[in-house]
Amino acid sequence: MKMADLIDANPNLLLMLQHFNIDFRVSDQTVLQLCTGHGISENLFISIANLYNGLEANVRIPFTREDMMHVIDFLKHSHHYYRSDKYPQISSYIRQLQENHSAKELKLLEKFFNEYFTEVIEHLDYEDNVAFPYFIALLKNEGSTDRQELYSSIEYGEHHTDIELKLKDLKHLLLKYVKIENDLDLRRKLFFALYELEFDLYIHSLIEETILIPAGVNIEREQHA
Amino acid sequence: MPKPSLHIAILEPSRIICEGLQTILYQSDLDCRIHRIETLEELTELLETVTVNILITNPLQFVNREKEVRKIRRQYPSISIAGIDYGIIQKQSMLTDLSFTLYDSSEHIIHLLSKLDKQNRSYTMQKNEDDNLTKREIEVLTGLVNGLMNKEIADSLNISIHTVVRHRKNITMKTGIRSQSGLTIYAISKKIVAIEDIEI
Repeated sequence: MKMADLIDANPNLLLMLQHFNIDFRVSDQTVLQLCTGHGISENLFISIANLYNGLEANVRIPFTREDMMHVIDFLKHSHHYYRSDKYPQISSYIRQLQENHSAKELKLLEKFFNEYFTEVIEHLDYEDNVAFPYFIALLKNEGSTDRQELYSSIEYGEHHTDIELKLKDLKHLLLKYVKIENDLDLRRKLFFALYELEFDLYIHSLIEETILIPAGVNIEREQHA
Repeated sequence: MPKPSLHIAILEPSRIICEGLQTILYQSDLDCRIHRIETLEELTELLETVTVNILITNPLQFVNREKEVRKIRRQYPSISIAGIDYGIIQKQSMLTDLSFTLYDSSEHIIHLLSKLDKQNRSYTMQKNEDDNLTKREIEVLTGLVNGLMNKEIADSLNISIHTVVRHRKNITMKTGIRSQSGLTIYAISKKIVAIEDIEI
């Protein structure tokens, strides 16, 4: 199947391409050609594309170590998207809202978001500086594998849930409770940004939970066997 | 949609009174199921498996056990209580929603019970439809927003920590908001607390 047709059917796949560091100008390439050209296995590419299409990851064929390196790169790129694109965008919309309206709740809402943003950044830093290097070392068979550390990385999954819950709070507050008159353009942009972020965060944690962590645990078992 | 039948529990040790009430109820238009119980303990057991809509009770059963009754009401807010007025207890209205005497006509008793059922249904519907918090939940929320710990809220309201936790769960379920800072914004939007009271 042609990649361009897939994007036509689900534009969210553009975000996936970006996380895979693949250019959007996919020409007439099929999925297989695109994967081969970028050194990514079709198995991994399709599994993640399925998540973006709302299907479960199809893991009938086990992922290779090389796949896992690509997964980590993919997750790192999505961190970049949160850190440098989505969160600053949302933050600026909330700032604008706060400037346009006198409702005092908006000040608190901005504070709520800023605190939340700080938490998210801490979490992303942790993954970039501790969890991912650990996985990479594990994949390269380097150093001692401290079981504790891997299992504690399962806890980061829970941390993700926390990130998603606060985002839900923000959405509910804006949808149901905080009174803002008019300003529909700005508010719609804010909502769309929140939903985009929520969607990608959801896929992000699915990848960690269904692909990265199980694969890491498997490698550990092999090494301890 | 047909109305589900009404579950009525009769807490009355006297068999004559109990059977009399049962006969009146069964002969009326009320589509009801009747559960006969003799003690408060039996009521608690029954409530674990059946959603009782109306409790008809001999108020003597409540004497010195007000705390337990209040607890039951808190735990099962949808239950309405009709007391049988024997003319012995002065302030029984504190714990019951209405009362009738054994000398009231059966039509009157049925009329009162259907009224109770109607109130009950509209209360439940209202509760399911919006995020209206109960008085207690608002008190817990206010404590929360002011930065009190569960223990402190429990002490100030004279309830157990366990109850505070249950209220918090209900608050989150009704509002869809989980974090404390999110709830603060909710409380201000709903004018439950004044923004001046909050440190920014």
